[in-house]
Amino acid sequence: MVFLAVDIGGTFTDLIAFDDKTGRFFQAKSLTTPRNHVDGIIDCIEKSELDPGTINHLIHGSTTAINTLIERKGAKVGLIVTRGTRDVYAIGRGNRPEAYNLFFHRPKPLVPRHLTIEVNERLLASGEVREALDPASVKAACDILVKEGVDAVAVCFLHSYANPEHEQQAGEIVRKAMPKAYVSLSHEIMREYREYERISTTAVNAYIGPVVGGYVRNLQNRLETIGFKGELAIMQSNGGVMAPATAINRPVTMMESGPVGGIIAAAQVGQALGYANVVSFDMGGTTAKASLVRDGEASMAEGYYVGGYASGHPVMTPVVDIVEVGAGGGSIASIDDVGALKVGPQSSGAEPGPICYGRGGTEPTITDANVILGRIGANDFLGGEMKLDRDAALKGMQERIAKPLNMTAEEAASAVVQIAIAKMALCVREVSVEKGYDPRDFVLIASGGGGAVHAVAIARELFVPTVIVPRFPSHFSALGMLMADERHDLVRTYLAELNVADFDLIRRITEELTGEAYKLLGRKDNCTTQVQFDLRYVGQEFTLPISVTPEQLARADRKAIRKSFDDLHEQRYAHQAADEPVEMINIRLVALGQRSKLALPALPREGKLAPREIRQVLFEGKTAVDCPVYDREKLTPGDKFDGPALVSEYGSTTVIFPLDKVSVADTGELIISVGNAQ
Amino acid sequence: MTAKLDPVTLEVIRSALPAIATEMAADLHRTSYNMMIYEVRDFCTAMLLPDSRLVSQNVGGVSHFVADLGAIIVDGMNRYGAAGFKHDDVIITNHQAVAGQHLNNIVIYMPYFYKGELKMFSMVRAHWIDVGGISTGFGGGAEVVDPWMEGLQLDQLKIYENGKPVEILLKVIRDNIRFPDSSMGDMRSQIAACKLAHRRLDELFDKFGQTTMMEAIEYIFLETEKRCRKVVSGFPSGVYEAEAFLDDDGVKKGERVRVHAKVTVDQETGSMEIDLSGCSAERKAGINSRTLAGARVAYKSLTAPLDAVNEGSFNALKHVIPEGNIMMARYPMPMSGWSTIVPTVVDTIIKALAPAAKERIPAAHLGTLGAAVVFFGRNPKTGKAFVVQSIEGGGWGGRPHEDGESGSVSVCQGDVRNGSIEAIEMKTPVLVEKRALRTDSGGPGRFRGGLGLDVQVTNFVEGRWNLHSPARVECPPWGLWEGKPGNTSNYLLKLPGDNDFHEKDENRYPTPANAQVMVRSNGGGGWGNPLDREADRVRYDVIEGYVTIEHARSDYGVVLSAKDYVIDAAATEKLRSEMRAKAVA
Repeated sequence: MVFLAVDIGGTFTDLIAFDDKTGRFFQAKSLTTPRNHVDGIIDCIEKSELDPGTINHLIHGSTTAINTLIERKGAKVGLIVTRGTRDVYAIGRGNRPEAYNLFFHRPKPLVPRHLTIEVNERLLASGEVREALDPASVKAACDILVKEGVDAVAVCFLHSYANPEHEQQAGEIVRKAMPKAYVSLSHEIMREYREYERISTTAVNAYIGPVVGGYVRNLQNRLETIGFKGELAIMQSNGGVMAPATAINRPVTMMESGPVGGIIAAAQVGQALGYANVVSFDMGGTTAKASLVRDGEASMAEGYYVGGYASGHPVMTPVVDIVEVGAGGGSIASIDDVGALKVGPQSSGAEPGPICYGRGGTEPTITDANVILGRIGANDFLGGEMKLDRDAALKGMQERIAKPLNMTAEEAASAVVQIAIAKMALCVREVSVEKGYDPRDFVLIASGGGGAVHAVAIARELFVPTVIVPRFPSHFSALGMLMADERHDLVRTYLAELNVADFDLIRRITEELTGEAYKLLGRKDNCTTQVQFDLRYVGQEFTLPISVTPEQLARADRKAIRKSFDDLHEQRYAHQAADEPVEMINIRLVALGQRSKLALPALPREGKLAPREIRQVLFEGKTAVDCPVYDREKLTPGDKFDGPALVSEYGSTTVIFPLDKVSVADTGELIISVGNAQ
Repeated sequence: MTAKLDPVTLEVIRSALPAIATEMAADLHRTSYNMMIYEVRDFCTAMLLPDSRLVSQNVGGVSHFVADLGAIIVDGMNRYGAAGFKHDDVIITNHQAVAGQHLNNIVIYMPYFYKGELKMFSMVRAHWIDVGGISTGFGGGAEVVDPWMEGLQLDQLKIYENGKPVEILLKVIRDNIRFPDSSMGDMRSQIAACKLAHRRLDELFDKFGQTTMMEAIEYIFLETEKRCRKVVSGFPSGVYEAEAFLDDDGVKKGERVRVHAKVTVDQETGSMEIDLSGCSAERKAGINSRTLAGARVAYKSLTAPLDAVNEGSFNALKHVIPEGNIMMARYPMPMSGWSTIVPTVVDTIIKALAPAAKERIPAAHLGTLGAAVVFFGRNPKTGKAFVVQSIEGGGWGGRPHEDGESGSVSVCQGDVRNGSIEAIEMKTPVLVEKRALRTDSGGPGRFRGGLGLDVQVTNFVEGRWNLHSPARVECPPWGLWEGKPGNTSNYLLKLPGDNDFHEKDENRYPTPANAQVMVRSNGGGGWGNPLDREADRVRYDVIEGYVTIEHARSDYGVVLSAKDYVIDAAATEKLRSEMRAKAVA
């Protein structure tokens, strides 16, 4: 079978494919075509020289959804809400996270006030009807929205998570009155309490729906034209894939479609090598991202704020928990107004890029610093396709950083890299130490162009004993897509104290959710479901998700469920309250549909270990040392060597320090045992 | 800079210290038991040196906590002496003679030792849901005459000695507060946050050593101070003054409470003095405090609003607040509503500087701590006590280049969230009928003030409503540069059988089932002359329903047709020139 994944990033569209019969990988990269991503995909497939007719599975991750939102290029949306709640979307939670900023900005609603229309209906928190839906008021709302020419309609009523009937009725009226409109009902997008967050999520879905829907359909058509007959799947923010039809209805779930691939890949590569606990670390051009994989599973967040917490849009659909920091290869080093050395978050981007790219960049970046230190070779960037100008980098570093700080350019470069490493280490801490996990129990898997350059130093900082550099580190996100299962996250709010919770009702809800999940999966074979309760101590606001086994559910084993909660609370926050009552707030169901698994093939053992060259590289102190440089392609399983060393490959370089030890795994990964990390 | 304090070490320590305070805050926030912490974020987390200087403090929650921690450490050191603190001691205090805030703000702190030497204190001040006293929660209000009436007073007491709980004291606390489970839960969270700081500090001290750490901290203070001075150097030297007032103190109705700020800028040194001596003397009403918050919040907003907070953030600020001032009240003056006056004080200080920095000063914001929705009682269905609490934002002032934001919490509240309607209704027997922007409440201006809110609630069971908060009706949020003030607020009540809402100004007001209350918040002031606002913008405000067609005409001089709101350009020009002429006359 042939598996193929295409990942559209900000700069590049990456393709990776694998033929499990021949064990062959195919790679291609092309510049992302912002106007028409589909062209970029087709272009990439052509470059790969694969016959489209032979591709069985095509998995696609894309920034289309998030870009449509961030660039505000979505549909004209009308919003229909319960009487009295017209302004809930604009008022939000009233908060100002930038507490001292007199010029703060609130999130700007995607729907203007005059297209937000109240209708007569009211439910209570129990789901009981206090006031029946008045169909005439919905009809009247539609009349206005038709006249205004909206393309999409979001419907969000209070307490629809408890009883969706009013939204369903309103939806029917809207679809009849506006047959061409794209319609999103809040309970179908996120069946969970908290009206502002639900309105926002539903509005985002409606806003990007027509654009993303059109995109997915266009992709399907174009693939058909070039002869693709296999199965297309779309990557979701939760780390699973979904069918194109689901993506068209719930595009909001593909917001983080791109970055999650790398985390899935990290989980799989880690497991294949016998490591269930992994920190995935990905460093690109503008940011670095860290994520935690525990017992083979990526950590999830219940949602996030697109555009940042202070003024972003809440999108409360499950997303792989990623912590990001403004430190990428292009992050700029500067001296601030009181003389402190800073790195990032400003980035030179792809254009003009670092000074050493020679495309007009004038400000020294992390990449420039690494080139100065010799860690990135001036002649082996992108396999030598692009020569880097070390002298220019040196000059820029000298003028902008070294001179004001009264140090040499090499010392300045070293300081810039060390600060970047400290920043990225804080980011890795946030997903591990700060969640109550000891990094010493984890391995760090590095990806992205800059991941392997800095991973070992970060690991040392946090006492992580092992770093793994996988194959294809700069195509890692696409690789992960080849490994993803189909996944659907469903949720239902049910508030009750755990010791009196109605388990008959819970089992009924769980069955309903399971039914819905199988509908989305479209099959029953090779599927599994996992039930979770969101639990908290009575009086608390924030919950922790606790997995509940079928036996615990069948036996209503409150004691065991509660014990898991107390334990996780202790782990996460270093205290628990075993005597306090516990309540549940949501029932969650995670449904996985297993897909044919890609297993990385073992590489042949051939050739003799020999460095390509010996280069002067500065690791620590003031003196550069002789350092062997190996070609990644020429390393074979079983090879072992000690640091200092560099391993150079097409899209990345691995930096190995003195005291570190490297061995090459059967499947080609570099396993680095980090010196001084005990 | 010594050899060890290279730029890398500095940058690492510079970001590690605030990261600790932030992590403490995140932990407390997610594990607390009361909405004042998890929604209102009415807490702060910090580390201080034994000489009381602030090493780092979280940013994001309630802004007025940026002051007043140092005084507690000075007092604690006087009480116990450096030698009197042992490893794993936990001290609790809220005593107003020093702490100077309402008694709900419970400070928990722990000494931090490195290699046996006292290096710092970790500290969490957080609002407990109840501390006993006259009223459930913190509805004590202005009528509270002294601290004994307000609740339990705790004066620098060890609740853990060397890691061992002092059971008698814990029992006294439990027995004298109304929601002991909640507050004991919060106390556990507070202690856990302090201990977390110690683990993180150990890592840093181990890595860099004591000398480097202590030198870096001093250096960071200096650097932060320098950064602030640089900003202040951008203002022309001079003495700037402004004045405002609250309608009354809640007890003596009709007697205004004066707020006055005198700000002296020295451009050469970049130092600033904020003199609040002109503010009212301490009152026989619960709106006193002992706080530097007014001056500090204003200064922080003007100098480095997005940076981390440490001692250096305020080294170039001098504050003058004499003993006996409303903000330096002497024990046992009542302080139950300690921060009531602070948003107005901050706005007055900022307003004083408007002539010095036209481009950096917005018009006035809502000026109060927001419109509070507070209703409590016992649910006959469950037999359990309940409290509905939500803090609703209001309008912010127009800005030199854009309109003010609507429905946002005050300058003293940062990441403070209103209660979700669905969550409120899920847990308490009320129905939120409406949470809406109030049309025409934003002050007219070239850049309009943000809108205030109307929040309407029906109570399904009998209970008590809090329907008083110190108002600014007579001194509404002002405009700047010919901008007009925002529209002001009050509480309205509609009892079963009433046809209309009536104004009501009373706390703990007993209310039968099925009454309705309207909680309203102020709009912000306008910036610049409303007659200079583009007619198209005024028209869009009418389409959006922020401004009525009548006010488009009367406030902005823009004439629109009733259908489709077409601008009558000739009529608009004529009306605007008449209005300009009248203003000159």
